[in-house]
Amino acid sequence: MAVNQKERIVFDVAYQPQVRTDVNTGRLMGRVICALLPAVAVSVWQFGLQALLLIAVSVASAVFFEWAYRKLLKKSATIGDCSAAVTGLLLAMTMPPTAPLWLPVIGTFFGIVVVKQLYGGIGKNFLNPALAARAFLLASYAMALGQFALPRSLQGVVDGISAATPLSYLYSGEPMPAYYTLRSMMLGMRPGALGEISALALLIGGIYLVVSKVISWRIPVSFIGTVALLTLIFGHEGYSNVDFMLLNLCSGGLFLAAIFMATDYATSPVTLNGQLLYGFGCGVITVLIRYFGGYPEGVTYAILLMNLCTWAIDKAFHRHQFGVSKEDIAAEKAAKKAAKEAAK
Amino acid sequence: MTHTFKGGVHPNYMKAPEIPMTVMTPPPQVVIPMIQHIGAPNKPLVQKGDYVTMGQKIGESPAPVSAPVHASVSGKVVAVEPRPHPLGDMILSVVIENDYKDTPCTDLAPLTEEQLKDSDAILERIREAGVVGMGGAMFPTAFKIRGGIGKVDKLIINGAECEPYLNGDHLTMLNYPEQLLKGIELVRIASCLDKCYYGIEKNKQDAIDLLNSLHPEKYGIEIVPEEIKYPQGAEKMQVKAVTGREVKPGGIPSGVGANVVSTRTCYAIYQACYEGKPVIERIVTVAGSAMKAPTNILTRVGTPFEYIAEQCGGFVKTPRKIVLGGPMMGICATSLEAPNIKGTAGVLFFTEEEDRHEDEPTCIRCGKCITVCPMNLEPVFMYMYYSKGDFENMAKYHITDCFECGSCAFNCPARMPLTHAFKTAKLMFQAKAAKEKAKAEAEAARKEVKV
Repeated sequence: MAVNQKERIVFDVAYQPQVRTDVNTGRLMGRVICALLPAVAVSVWQFGLQALLLIAVSVASAVFFEWAYRKLLKKSATIGDCSAAVTGLLLAMTMPPTAPLWLPVIGTFFGIVVVKQLYGGIGKNFLNPALAARAFLLASYAMALGQFALPRSLQGVVDGISAATPLSYLYSGEPMPAYYTLRSMMLGMRPGALGEISALALLIGGIYLVVSKVISWRIPVSFIGTVALLTLIFGHEGYSNVDFMLLNLCSGGLFLAAIFMATDYATSPVTLNGQLLYGFGCGVITVLIRYFGGYPEGVTYAILLMNLCTWAIDKAFHRHQFGVSKEDIAAEKAAKKAAKEAAK
Repeated sequence: MTHTFKGGVHPNYMKAPEIPMTVMTPPPQVVIPMIQHIGAPNKPLVQKGDYVTMGQKIGESPAPVSAPVHASVSGKVVAVEPRPHPLGDMILSVVIENDYKDTPCTDLAPLTEEQLKDSDAILERIREAGVVGMGGAMFPTAFKIRGGIGKVDKLIINGAECEPYLNGDHLTMLNYPEQLLKGIELVRIASCLDKCYYGIEKNKQDAIDLLNSLHPEKYGIEIVPEEIKYPQGAEKMQVKAVTGREVKPGGIPSGVGANVVSTRTCYAIYQACYEGKPVIERIVTVAGSAMKAPTNILTRVGTPFEYIAEQCGGFVKTPRKIVLGGPMMGICATSLEAPNIKGTAGVLFFTEEEDRHEDEPTCIRCGKCITVCPMNLEPVFMYMYYSKGDFENMAKYHITDCFECGSCAFNCPARMPLTHAFKTAKLMFQAKAAKEKAKAEAEAARKEVKV
C-alpha cells in the first residue's frame, strides 16, 4: 500500500501505554481452572462419575445464573471472563460426593446472584461467592453436606458406605484409624469433599498459580504457616505435636481454602503486608474454630470473617511512596506529635 | 549485587538490534519546528527565500531554558509558518527545500584540545549545538548539567533503553563505541567530576563487552550492568539502581546529588565538540505491525513521518496509531505530515494487532498494579478515588508522584485506563493549585488596596 494515498487516515490518540500484557481477566480465571484440574482428577478417580456430574451441574448453573442475571437486567455479558465458572467449580469442590444435584444449583444461585451480582458483579462483591454459598448451604442443608461416601480406595477396607472424615477424628480427639495415614491424605484416599481430599493435587495447583503469577505466595503461605505454627505449639492429647500439625494441614479443606478461596481477588487485600496479615487472621480463626468451635472444619467461616476485614486491612497498610526514607517517616511522626502538643 | 529497583514489568521487548543501521536519503523538504525542547520557544532567524546551509542555526531564544535549532539540510527556506507538530497542535516551523548538496555550515568549529578540558567551553558548545535530552524528555542538556555542578556527585549515563522496540542507543554503542565514551567523558568533564557511571541493561551484553574492552576507566567511566526490566531507564529508577539513592517525592535527581544523561545525548555532545556538528540527525527505530519489518534508520531532524514510512518500505496494513518513542511512554501523533524531532527515538505504526482494550473495563481488584508500581504507589485505590473525584484521598494516595511509566496499566488484566486517569488527575491538581494561587493573590491585592 502506498503511503501517500489520497484519503486521509484518522489516527487514534490513545494515552499510554500503547501495549498491554496478553494476560487478561479471562486468562487468569482460565489458569485457576487449570490449577484445579489435578484435584478434579483425584475426585473423579476416587468418587467416580458422580463427582464429575456434580462439578458439571455446579459450573453450568453458575454460568447460567451469571448470564441470565446480566441478560435480564440488560447489562454487558460477563460469562466470557470465566469467573462464574470458577465460582461454580470451587463450590462443587466443597461438596461431598453424595450431595444431591440440586444442591449446587441452589448454592450457585445464592453465590452468583445474591453475593456477587447484586453488589455489582466481578470485583465488587465483598464476600467470596463460593464460600458464602457454602456457608448458606451449610446452614440450610447440613444433613446433605454432612454425609461422606467412601472413596474407591477405602471400599472393602471399611464397612458400610460412609465414613467419618479425618478432621472429625481430630475434632473429637478420638485416635485415627490406621487407614488414615499422611500418605493416603496427600494422595486423596480418604473421605471428604470432592476437592479437598488430596493435599498433593491442591499443592501442585497452588505452585502453578504462584509460578504463573495468578496469585502471590503471601496469603497461602501465611495462612497455612499460621495453622501449622499454632497446631504445632498447642498440639492435642493423644498425638505428637508434629503429627497433629501435619494431620491438621492435610486432613481438612485447608489447602483448598488457602490456595483457591482466600486468594480470591475481590475479597482479599491488595496491599502486600495486608495480605500477610489477612492470611495470618484466616489461620488464627481456623485454628480457633477447629479447637473450640461447633464445627470440625473452620476454614469457611475463617475466610468469610476475614473477607469482612479486607477493606480495613488495606486502609491500614497503605504504604509510603518511593523516596520516603525511614527518617522521613520518623520526622513526619514527630512533627505531628509536636503539632498535637502545641494545640493542647 | 544486581543493579535494579523494586517493581516494574517485562513487556515483550520486540527489539531488533541485529538489523544494521541504515542511513536515510534526506527528504525533499524538511520541517524544523521551533519547539524541540522543554522551555521557551525559539524565534526563527531566517525568512522565506533565505538560503541556509546544513547545520546553520535557524532558531534560538534568549531564555536560559531553551535550545537552538539548526537546518538539517542545505537549501532554500520556502516557508516560515505553523505546521503540525509531532506532539500535537500547530507550531511555528521553518520549511526548507533540500538542494541535496548538504553544503556544510562552518559556524561551529571543533573544539581545541584546551577547550575539550574546560567545563564552560563544553557547556557553551552543548548549548550552541542545540543538545537536548534525546531519550525523549528533550530537556536542554547544558542547563541540566550546569545546574548540577557542585550539587551532583554521581553522574549516570542512561543506557538502559528499557522501552520495547527501540534500538537506537544499543546501535550507537555498537557502531560508535569510542566516540560514545569520549562523549560521556565530555559530560563528566562538564559536570566537574572524576568519575561517572554508565548503566546498561543486560540485554545489551554485546555492547557491554565491547565498551569494557575499550577501557572505559581511561575516560573515568564505570559500566554498570543492570537487570532487564521496564522502566529501568526512568531517571529515578536509574539513580536507584546505580547509587541506591531514592529521589524524594516531587524532587529531581539532583536533589540527591545525581544527574542522568542519555546515551544518544552523549553521542550528540561528542559530535558537537569533536566534529562541530549540531543536532541535526538522530537514529530512529521504525516498527509496528503496519510495517513489514522493523528498521533502524538514521534520519535528519525534520523529516515528515510520511516520508520515513515510505523509506522504510511503506505500510503493509493501514496504521491506526503513530506512536512516538517507545510504546510504554510514547504518545500518539495525529498527522503523518508532522516531522521527527530531536527527541523522537522511535516511530511505531500500530494497527489493531497491538490494540488490547476492553469496552467496559472492570477492576477485579487483583492488585497486580500494586506489585509492579516502581514508585510504590497503589494504583487500584488511586483509580477508585479518581473515579469519585475525591481530591483529598487522591492526594493521600500520592497520585501526583506517578510519573506515568504505564507499568500498572500494562499489567492490568482488566485493561483499566490507569495511566490515563492519573495523568488527568495530575492536570486537575495543577489546575486546582493554579486556581487557589490566583485566588490568594487576588485576596492579597484586595487587602493591600484596603490598607
